[in-house]
Amino acid sequence: MKKIIVENLKYKYPLTESLALDNLSFEVEQGEFIGIIGANASGKSTLCQSIVGLVPHFYKGAYGGTVIVDGLKVMDHAVSDIALKVGIVFQNPFNQVTGSKLTVLEEIAFGLENIGVPQTEMLERIETVLELLNIAPYRERHPFDLSGGQMQRMAIASIIAMKPNIIVLDEPTSQLDPEGAEEVFQAIHRLSEQGITVIMVEHKMEKIAHYCNRVMLLQKGKMIDFDTPEKIFSRDDLETYGVTAPVYTRVCKALDLKIPGTDYYPVTLEQASRVLGGKIK
Amino acid sequence: MKSISLYTDRKSVLHSLDPINKLYYIAFAIFIPIILPSIEISLACVALSFTLLISGKVFTKTMPAFGVVLFTLLTVILIQGLFRPGNATILFQAGPFTMYREGLLYASILSLRVINIVSSFMILVLTTSPSDLVDSLVRKGMSPRIGYVISSVFQIIPEMMAAMETITDAQRARGMETEGNLRVRIRAFFPLLGPVVLGSLINTKERAMALEVRGFNAKSPKTYLLDQKQYRFSTVIQWGILFVIGCAIVWRLAS
Amino acid sequence: MKKQSMWSMRLSTASLVLIPVAVGINYIGKLIVGLLKLPLWLDSIGTVLASILAGPIIGALSGAINNVIYGLTVDTISFVYGITSIAIGLAVGILFYKGMISSWSKAAVAGLIVGLVATIVSTPLNVGFWGGQTGNVWGDALFATILSNTHSTWLASLLDELVVDVPDKLVVVLVSFGLYKGLPRNIVQVYNSDNKVETLD
Repeated sequence: MKKIIVENLKYKYPLTESLALDNLSFEVEQGEFIGIIGANASGKSTLCQSIVGLVPHFYKGAYGGTVIVDGLKVMDHAVSDIALKVGIVFQNPFNQVTGSKLTVLEEIAFGLENIGVPQTEMLERIETVLELLNIAPYRERHPFDLSGGQMQRMAIASIIAMKPNIIVLDEPTSQLDPEGAEEVFQAIHRLSEQGITVIMVEHKMEKIAHYCNRVMLLQKGKMIDFDTPEKIFSRDDLETYGVTAPVYTRVCKALDLKIPGTDYYPVTLEQASRVLGGKIK
Repeated sequence: MKSISLYTDRKSVLHSLDPINKLYYIAFAIFIPIILPSIEISLACVALSFTLLISGKVFTKTMPAFGVVLFTLLTVILIQGLFRPGNATILFQAGPFTMYREGLLYASILSLRVINIVSSFMILVLTTSPSDLVDSLVRKGMSPRIGYVISSVFQIIPEMMAAMETITDAQRARGMETEGNLRVRIRAFFPLLGPVVLGSLINTKERAMALEVRGFNAKSPKTYLLDQKQYRFSTVIQWGILFVIGCAIVWRLAS
Repeated sequence: MKKQSMWSMRLSTASLVLIPVAVGINYIGKLIVGLLKLPLWLDSIGTVLASILAGPIIGALSGAINNVIYGLTVDTISFVYGITSIAIGLAVGILFYKGMISSWSKAAVAGLIVGLVATIVSTPLNVGFWGGQTGNVWGDALFATILSNTHSTWLASLLDELVVDVPDKLVVVLVSFGLYKGLPRNIVQVYNSDNKVETLD
């Protein structure tokens, strides 16, 4: 089943001249894990925000084409309605804390209270996401007293509690230490295993290669390519788009070792060690 | 997290009352002396507030609040006692200055009015947590969005103050002087204020987006995670206060 | 891009989230003044900035909530002066909307106007609560002098407030205008709730 259908999407922020998104068209299937990569200002964040409706509803500006998320046409619905279908997590965990709640429990409840989830169901949902994101021990803590990684997992939990079918993550670990980042990646992986469709912008290409079914490469608002990680990272012109392939790919490329039976280089540790192991033996 | 709220967590009857009752009491303490303007009534109101504050075990916590108004009140007493138009009855003389009875009396009434207002507000401020107050008001029909704004002020100010301290340290480390003549100090103003303002406005944009995707603008009726706190005697207290104010008006009109 | 009415009551999320930040900036302004021992209050920069960015309604709300919070945390009587803060928020919002805060010289004139508005609103409050004083040492010294010479509480009170408030609001409006000019346009744009989405199809 198609979860996201984007057709000829164009977008220009107010008071700017150039298109931030330039004629994008693509589709995403239920349960896919999609990575979005590209240089700075290539339109990654704008694309994320166009899926949840912040583009155009929050910024206004000029918009063209259509985005349909889980059957909902983004242009014709309010952000609060789209939020029931798709959630988004931003870079800075600090700014996602509402600042009006006194405990992690209440913080997660914020969205559920707003959309009118009955109390008993609210409690059930919160328990589930506390376990899923592995933050149950901090339930009574003050939201600002958490570490970066814990805070970001709380942000994800707050979104997941609203039961979207799709979650968009815009560089969810860029402001976290390695330990915090790993906690967050594992949490996202668990969500994906639950069947949630994941769209993730991320600079750590090893993580993109490890988790994603398909990777979208953007440059200056245009879609350059949208394919499997192996195909994307095997492109010879990758560097010109400001992207460095995963270290495994670069090593195997230097050694000219392709995945047997294909034209592509390995992108993950497993693939690389299989190829390299074969050679060494 | 450092809190700017003056709420003092104690066990007392006052603490267990509905915050709305305390708003009624503030109205009572302000209107009664207006309806019945006499020093005795004002004194009685202050005495009642003081008794309540003592019963709430928070009387000593009122001192900073009184401290704020004390200095100004002293100058009011001095200036009114010396210079108030209509001063006639000399109380005493000190050098070239003459202290008058009328001015002093007027200043006492003003002081009593201020002390009365401060003490009635202190009952609310010291025995009610801000979140309980906002919660009560939202459940009484105040816009949840305004409720959000008030709650978040209590958390955002300490956050901004912390950012401010970081910036002050950083600017000092870079050699900015915060002491010396006025020109030096004025020059320090922008480098201190600018980064906090810019930083917090950038954060504001992201926080607004984060709120919107969590249904901040949802049209559906709001539900609550926590049960409404059960307060006792609310109806009795609120009608009682209204009754007393009503009696005061009748008394004033009749006499 | 045509602007809608400045009195639009549809408060966007961004504008609402601006209010606590405005209150915070007011606090910070006061804090820095204390730190640098400057001879002004400068405790309404946030309110003025909010008015400039998001219009008179948000400005007035920022002012009102500022004084409520200040009343609940530091100085009870500041509740009463919430009326002055509301007036400042409205005045700045209207002046900015009318294009009267668009250059440094215009901002200076606007600052004087805002100072006068604040004085007119505050003076009756000063008379009612403090017998006419402002609590500012220099202003109150002037108050005492005028009172003893003219025997007019109102005149003394008006001048007391005038000498304190007008310079303060002049500097506040200039500082806020400077901050506003220094903000990136994409941040300023966020508070402009009046735009419609244009179509590229």
